[in-house]
Amino acid sequence: MKIETKDAGRYLVVKVLEQRLGADRAASFKDEMSKLVEQGHTAFVLDLSEVKFIDSTGLGAILSILKRVGKSGDILVTGTSDTVGSMFKLTRMDRVFQMYPTVDEALSARV
Amino acid sequence: MKAMILAAGKGTRVRPITWTLPKPMIPLIRKPVMELLIEHLHRHGITDIAINTSHLAPLIENYFRDGERFGVRIAYSFEGALVDGEVQGLAVGSAGGMRKIQDFSGFFDETFVVLCGDALVDVDLGRVLQFHREKKALATIVLRDVPREQVTKYGVVEVRPDGRVLRFQEKPSVQEAVSTVINTGIYMFEPRIFDFIPSGQEFDIGGQLFPALVAANEALYGVVEPFNWLDIGSIPDFWEGTRLLLEKQLPGFELPGREVRPGIHTGINLRVPWDLVNIQGSVYIGSGTEIGAGATLIGPSVVGSGCVLQEGATVRECILGDYTRVSSAAVLERKIISGGKCIDPSGQYLDINESQIGWIVDDARKRMQLTAAEAELWEQVMDHVMA
Repeated sequence: MKIETKDAGRYLVVKVLEQRLGADRAASFKDEMSKLVEQGHTAFVLDLSEVKFIDSTGLGAILSILKRVGKSGDILVTGTSDTVGSMFKLTRMDRVFQMYPTVDEALSARV
Repeated sequence: MKAMILAAGKGTRVRPITWTLPKPMIPLIRKPVMELLIEHLHRHGITDIAINTSHLAPLIENYFRDGERFGVRIAYSFEGALVDGEVQGLAVGSAGGMRKIQDFSGFFDETFVVLCGDALVDVDLGRVLQFHREKKALATIVLRDVPREQVTKYGVVEVRPDGRVLRFQEKPSVQEAVSTVINTGIYMFEPRIFDFIPSGQEFDIGGQLFPALVAANEALYGVVEPFNWLDIGSIPDFWEGTRLLLEKQLPGFELPGREVRPGIHTGINLRVPWDLVNIQGSVYIGSGTEIGAGATLIGPSVVGSGCVLQEGATVRECILGDYTRVSSAAVLERKIISGGKCIDPSGQYLDINESQIGWIVDDARKRMQLTAAEAELWEQVMDHVMA
């Protein structure tokens, strides 16, 4: 799973560079994120602006990272397209994660 | 007077609904569009109807059969061939479809009407016939006046004050449009029209036949009639059309079932604990549907028959096909559920299997079996939301 990270103070911005976050890529995504958690990061802005498809396994992978970072951690989700955003809304994941249109908006909201 | 209904199209602009349902069979609340059309023809004394079919033909033919139940007599003209059990379409076009029937039996031996099978119309055909006769027309097009901003969706027609058609513009811009009257796809013809339609080749009414008539200076007329028209040629149109009907904004259209509470129409054999659910009109709830305590259903919505809304499910402004199950974890807002797809009013859609959202919405007849990933999501959602 190709990702790109950028430090933003408390938050680490993680941009997913692949178009599909589905069952076939979910494990690889979890691995990459786990590595970052092990490095000590617990607050993420997850930029999904490149992602065109996500299924329940993909959502589950993001959820598992949220569980890992625990109460002191945070995952903000940004840049969801119409269909990806739909998946979050349908499954009530938009209430589990804070969602913002862009990375900048997410970061300013959390200052 | 005889009629022909064009029902052979693939309905590409109404995909994904038309992957599993031919456009004329798309239900407006409960009735297929074409049934409403046939009822209308029957009311105007038309009894003999030819219908061309191709895409998903059995779904049309098995529903209407010989038409007896609807007070009419129907003959189908199947266009295509069955190859290895699959229907391969035969592209003959709308005028080509007419010609095929005429070549077969000379069916059209008097003034006849041709309509597209995908719009709800209640035009007064008697008045159209009167106009047609007065003008001694070879062909009369039923026109409709639309707001100028809408001309970009349609075939615009320029007519002389006496009704003679001068020319056509296909989907012009607002500035380019020469008029605001559009072709409604309802035509009246004399049998002599077949002199202008060649056999054995693809030929279209709007694109080829009419320009030929204009070029030959034949009596092609257009009449503007005021009537109710619901076009379901695209997903957004179907969405808007259904909402219009639910809000009772189409005069003469009766909502099916009984109004059991203000704004709530239902079929029979429902299992709904009315005091424990939050249902706000306008909604139609189909027969045999079950709604669990704590569920929310906000209109305008159509819930098909045999549906299940589990406890705590939220459905807001949706059109649910028959046998849809909405689970407790779901929040369904402005969606059409049809043929295993979860469709947005814009036409974008998710495939329920591919997106693994069977745990949110699925066929009610399937046993609910969650994969490990789905079960985990479910638990998380329920914990989090109910907390």
